[in-house]
Amino acid sequence: MMRYVIIGASAAGLAAAESIRQWDPRGAITLISDEPHPPYSRPLLTYLLSGEVSLEKIWLKSADYFEKWGFEVLLGERVVQVAAGEREVRLQSGRVCPYDRLLISSGARPRLPGVPGEDLEGVFTLRTLADWRRLDAALPEGGEVAVVGAGPVGLKAAEALSHRGCRVALVEMESQVLPRLVDAQAAAMLEGELKKWGIDVYCNAAPRGIVEVKGQVQALALADGRELPAQVVLFAIGVTPNTEFLGNTGLAAAGGIPVNPRLETGQPDIFAAGDCVQGVNLLTGQPAYVPIWPAAVEQGKIAGANMAGADRRYPGALPQNSISLRGFKIITGGLAHPEAEDVEITSELDRHRGQYRRLVYREGRLVGLTLVGAVADAGIYFQLMSQQLPAIEPMTPGRLWG
Amino acid sequence: MKTVIVRPERCVGCLQCRLACAVEHSRTKELVGAIGEQVTPRARLRIYPGRQHLAFPNKCRHCEPAPCQQVCIAGAISRAPRGTVDIDPAKCINCAMCAMACPFGVLTYAPLYQAPDKSAVALKCDQCPDREAAGVKPACVEACKVGALTYGEWQESQQAKGWALAQAVFASLQTPQETEPSPPASISVWRRLS
Repeated sequence: MMRYVIIGASAAGLAAAESIRQWDPRGAITLISDEPHPPYSRPLLTYLLSGEVSLEKIWLKSADYFEKWGFEVLLGERVVQVAAGEREVRLQSGRVCPYDRLLISSGARPRLPGVPGEDLEGVFTLRTLADWRRLDAALPEGGEVAVVGAGPVGLKAAEALSHRGCRVALVEMESQVLPRLVDAQAAAMLEGELKKWGIDVYCNAAPRGIVEVKGQVQALALADGRELPAQVVLFAIGVTPNTEFLGNTGLAAAGGIPVNPRLETGQPDIFAAGDCVQGVNLLTGQPAYVPIWPAAVEQGKIAGANMAGADRRYPGALPQNSISLRGFKIITGGLAHPEAEDVEITSELDRHRGQYRRLVYREGRLVGLTLVGAVADAGIYFQLMSQQLPAIEPMTPGRLWG
Repeated sequence: MKTVIVRPERCVGCLQCRLACAVEHSRTKELVGAIGEQVTPRARLRIYPGRQHLAFPNKCRHCEPAPCQQVCIAGAISRAPRGTVDIDPAKCINCAMCAMACPFGVLTYAPLYQAPDKSAVALKCDQCPDREAAGVKPACVEACKVGALTYGEWQESQQAKGWALAQAVFASLQTPQETEPSPPASISVWRRLS
């Protein structure tokens, strides 16, 4: 009987376990998670913060899920070592899990900018349920919060905090919100909405440090000398792969775990999937870190199948984000800022309805998408992009359907 | 599973299905009442203008497996025992992940009277559960006057479509070579006389 061990029980780990079960009905599958609770929807944490979703709605699986699928699950167990030679995973509790096939889907954790004061009580990140509990308990009623980073998580968190009645300052190092995902036009529309909700946006602003008095956060100091008063500072400046426990196994590199298209690592019978993987962009074929939920699920499925003996390839991740703030929707996908000169960009702005559409083509194929306001057709564009279908000749904005 | 089968070649783009759909998904389920409702009822299918005078009715196919169900981060999308893919408005958080996943672009976001506390929820075809319980065809099918929307077991419908296509191909092969169109009777008579 084959023994499968999966490190991490979130998007990629669960998808892999189910995939293995479909290919190998008998194998023993063990999932290890360092979090004490059953799997939950990480993207819902910001909705939990705003109060739009209650705690009982964030669990991904029913209570009898692991039993029903025949998975062994070890919750609250931290992996300290992967011994590839002995084919063992060693846990902090002293327990040892021998494996025949191992999947590393240990995910990622938020980065911190490395400024003085970031280890204070009043400084937070939002990645786990424990993070949410700590932040939720510390939120000052009607107080001031500084959110650093205007990416998808930072934006949703800022919106959620303002929804909770906090005065929110959103700080972004680049010259616009969502700098990696959208162009200046879409960013301007979004910034307009944020201002309407009373969120102060500070672009071109780098955090320099946290101002404290007796360990209490007082303000966020910016590099240009300004100080934004805040009792709570939330950093949402991106994530970094969880690979420390791999130590000197040679599995991990700087930007995550390198894998081949079968999602195998450098060591035999060890696979990797999800946010801990270095990753490849589907459209460019170049290395690209794309830590998004749908890519993690897809990788988990493929890695799981390959662990159970299949031969499936992962072509790469298609970057895609859906940002929905109080009904204001932005969907982005593919390449936002393509460097190639041979791209053709068509965009269409409807100021009256607050809608914007930007399509990026390369060699007659769609490679980038931004939709603001009207997002219903997004899935069709994503099909065109992911399959790299040739665009029909007159597919200019507004004429997709004739 | 019984489902609505679309035959785009028959659609004339009259939009009566949209009207019937909106009425069916209103609180009163009556046209007169639906117009005055506080939350405007929305149609769950769309008709796109198409090429060569073909309109294209587009609605949820209730895929198996359903990409929208797989990406829903709120767990609001599920498969009902009768085979349809359903959205629970109470769980929907209006995040638009499903719009990103749907390969047919059938999702819209609008207020719904069943979820009065939400500014918008994801809407798509639910294949009229109330009508199905009563043993009646879905509203759009009933409204369609040209047979572009039909309702039945999908295997049978696919088979029927296949037959029709095969017969059309066969008939076209058997048609004699193009003949000159015959002139009107009056001209034939005049030619014969001259």
